[in-house]
Amino acid sequence: MSTNKKKPYGTAAITGALSIASYIVLFSNIDSVMDYFTKGGYYAAFPIMTALYFSFIHGTFASSVISLIGLEPAKSGH
Amino acid sequence: MKKIIFLVVAALMFFGMASSAFAAGGPPSDVKKGVFTELDASERTVVFEPEDGGEAVTLKLGEEVIPEDIELNKKVMVSMGHEGEEEVITSASVMFLGMTMDKVIALLIVGLIGGLLSGFIGSGGAFVLTPAMMSLGAPGAVAVASNMCHKFPKAMVGSYKRYRYGQVDLKLGLVMAVTAIIGVQIGVRVQKMILNTWGPAGSDLYVSIAFVVILITVGTYVFWDAWRLSKKGAEIETPKLAKAMQKIKIPPMMNFPKAGVRLSFWVTVPVGLATGMLAATIAVGGFIGVPGMIYVIGATAMVASATELLIAFIMGLWGSIQWAISGLVDIRLTLLILAASLFGVQLGALGTTYVKDYTIKVVMGAVMLIVMVSRGAKIPIYMNELGLASVSEGSQSILEAVSFWALVAALATAGGIITVAMIKGIIKDRAKDDEAGKEAVGAKA
Repeated sequence: MSTNKKKPYGTAAITGALSIASYIVLFSNIDSVMDYFTKGGYYAAFPIMTALYFSFIHGTFASSVISLIGLEPAKSGH
Repeated sequence: MKKIIFLVVAALMFFGMASSAFAAGGPPSDVKKGVFTELDASERTVVFEPEDGGEAVTLKLGEEVIPEDIELNKKVMVSMGHEGEEEVITSASVMFLGMTMDKVIALLIVGLIGGLLSGFIGSGGAFVLTPAMMSLGAPGAVAVASNMCHKFPKAMVGSYKRYRYGQVDLKLGLVMAVTAIIGVQIGVRVQKMILNTWGPAGSDLYVSIAFVVILITVGTYVFWDAWRLSKKGAEIETPKLAKAMQKIKIPPMMNFPKAGVRLSFWVTVPVGLATGMLAATIAVGGFIGVPGMIYVIGATAMVASATELLIAFIMGLWGSIQWAISGLVDIRLTLLILAASLFGVQLGALGTTYVKDYTIKVVMGAVMLIVMVSRGAKIPIYMNELGLASVSEGSQSILEAVSFWALVAALATAGGIITVAMIKGIIKDRAKDDEAGKEAVGAKA
C-alpha cells in the first residue's frame, strides 16, 4: 500500500514561491506589462514566452501539489 | 523510409506554422488601435490618437455608436465603416477590461473546470471560456486571443502528463496537426467569404448551424456508442468504419504504435482537415478530432483524447503567435485562467487513468449535446437579425439566457461526471491495492 515515492515537498515549495512571486511581479507592474505585451509585431514574443514560463513553473507547482495531496495515477491499468 | 516520411511531415509542419503565423488568418486586420483623447458629444466627433505613433485625427461616430459609451484615455479597438460618403466609427470597445475580484474568481473557476475537461477529453474549455470572457466585458477578438494563448501551455502540460501515462500517439498527433493547420486556413477563408457575402449575422448563423449539425450528429453517435459499450460490458471495440479504413493500402502507409493501427496517410488527411476547419469555425476542433481518431482511424478514446491535446498544443501555439502579433492578447486574462487550468488539466489527465475507455465518450457526448443546445438557442436570434424570422425581444432574452445557462450546465455536468468517475476509480484502485498487499503478507506468513 505504501508508496516508495518521495513526496515532492521541495519542488512544491520552490516552484510555488517562484510562481507566486512571478504573479506578484507581473501584476504589480501591469500597466507597463500590458503596454509592451500588446504592441504586436515582434513584441508578440512577450505574451508567448510568459505563457510558456508560467506553464513550466506553475505547471510543476500544480503537479507537486496534486501529488502532495495524495492523488497519483492508477497503479492498476484499466 | 518511415523516418524520411516522418521528417518530411515535421518539416512541412514547421514551414506551415512559420508561414501561416504571418499570413492573414484569424485576427482582424481592419481595426485601429489607439486612445480617444477628446469627445464632442453634440457634434458626435472624437479625437483619436493611433497606437502606432501616427498623428491624432478627428473621427465621426457612426449612428450605432453611443457617445456616452466612449471612454477617454483608455486603449480602444475601433472598427471603421461608411455611412454614405463619409468614413465613420462603426464600433469602439475598450480593449482591456477593468479587473475586479469577482471577475478574477469567475476566471479561476471557469479555468479550473475548463482545464479538467481538457485534460480528460482532450478539448473543450474554449467553448465556454471565450463567451465567459466576453460576458465579463472583453471584446470578442481579445477573448479569442487570450483564450488561445492560455490553451497552448495548458495543452502542453496536459499532453506531457498523458504522454507520461503512455496515452499519446506522438506520430499521429504530428501528422494530424499538419493537416489541421491547413484545415484552419480553409476554414478561415470560408468564414471570410460568408462574412463578406452575408455580414456578421450571416456569419454567426453559419457558425451556429455548423455547431448544431456537427454536435448533434457526432455527439449523439458518441453518446450512443458509449451507452452501448457500457451495457455490453465491452470496453473497447474497433469501429467498422475504422476497420474498413485500415484496408485502404494507398502509400505512404504509416504505423501509429500507440494507437495500435497501421493505415494509409491519406485516411488521416480528412480527419485533420475537418479538425482544423472546425477549429477555425467554432474554436473547438477536438469535437471532430477526437471522434475522428476513434471512429475513422481506430484509436481508443483514451489515446484519441490524449493525442488531441498534442494537436491542440501545436495549433494553439500557431494561433497564439498570430493573435499576439496583432497585439490582442490580454495577458492578465491568460495568466488568471492558467493559474487554475494548470491544476484542472493535470487532474483531468490523472482522472483518465482511473476510468474505463467509454467514460471519456460519455463525457464527450454529454458535453457536445449540451453545448449544441446552447448554440441552437441562438439560431432564431441570428435569423431575426437577417430578417429570416421574427423573434420578439422578450423571446430573445429568454433564448440568450438558455444559451448561457446551457454552457454553465455543460461545464457542471462534465465536472460532475469526471469527479464522480475519478473518486469511484480511486476507491476501487485502493481497495485492489489493499487486497494485493494483504495477499502478499499472507503469502509471506
